Amino acid sequence: MWTKIKWGIRILLLLIVGLFLHYTMPQRDVVQIINTYNKNTPIGANWMFYSIEDTGTGVETTSTIRDIRYIDAVFPDGKSVMVYRNEDTGWFWPPYFKWDSSTLQAEATNLKSDKANPQWVAVTHYGWRMPIFSIFPNAVKITPVSGPDVTLIPWVNIVILAFLAFVVLMIRRMWMQFRERMVDPALADVGETFDAAGERVEAARKEARGFFGRIGAWLNTWKAKK
Amino acid sequence: MGWLRLAFLMYVALTVIYFLTGIYSRSVRREKLEKEWDADPARQGLSQQERSAFIEAGMVHYDKGLKKRLLWLIYIIPTIGFLVTIYLVNWH
Repeated sequence: MWTKIKWGIRILLLLIVGLFLHYTMPQRDVVQIINTYNKNTPIGANWMFYSIEDTGTGVETTSTIRDIRYIDAVFPDGKSVMVYRNEDTGWFWPPYFKWDSSTLQAEATNLKSDKANPQWVAVTHYGWRMPIFSIFPNAVKITPVSGPDVTLIPWVNIVILAFLAFVVLMIRRMWMQFRERMVDPALADVGETFDAAGERVEAARKEARGFFGRIGAWLNTWKAKK
Repeated sequence: MGWLRLAFLMYVALTVIYFLTGIYSRSVRREKLEKEWDADPARQGLSQQERSAFIEAGMVHYDKGLKKRLLWLIYIIPTIGFLVTIYLVNWH
């Protein structure tokens, strides 16, 4: 029973982290730009998927309607389409520090092409397109590419994921070192003290079980010994 | 003013990370010195004072060494990362 709950929580956490990273990290689509425009966009409960308020992208006509730039694009199959929004990201999250949405819109318009003469571009973006919530991925960068079959290696994502893996590994190693050098000797102390007193050893051992038990036992060693 | 808030929060967080990593790094070095002493058969039978003197000398050496200075990378790498991101997104 408890193992199942534990694994359930673990899988849930992993899923949340994975979705969060998938939303935030840059992805590249090879597309053909077919239209660029502005649209007064009502922003309501889906505010979380738009830039924070003070980024200064376009005019905020009221608190709930914002003038946002959009880029329409079509994938190489000629049928599936994508709508990108083009908003500054401001200084907080996600940390793209994009302030050039006007320039990006001009670049997008410049790279617009028709079906007879397609100009293929790689649109770097983050975010998801979810029609039910009216949310759009935010285009960050547009670069012309030679054709629809071009291979793009996601170096940025490789570096970010490698760095995150390194951070997780370091946190684990630091925690293990902390446990080995501080908690375990302290636990040994606790055990000896109780042994000397000759009572409640079993209670202390039970208390010292698990993650929080260890921390509690370690904290107890800072108390004055009687 | 957004950048000030971000910079402030980032450097506060990095300072916490800097100190935690510093504690970890010292702890690893101390453990290494202890093991080096304990594994040396020539030092068997020497007193506890000599052992701690050896370890303290090693820690003083560590405090002056390159490895401790490398911890400044905790500040330097994110700063460079931010500047490179800003450049690549907006001007490249």
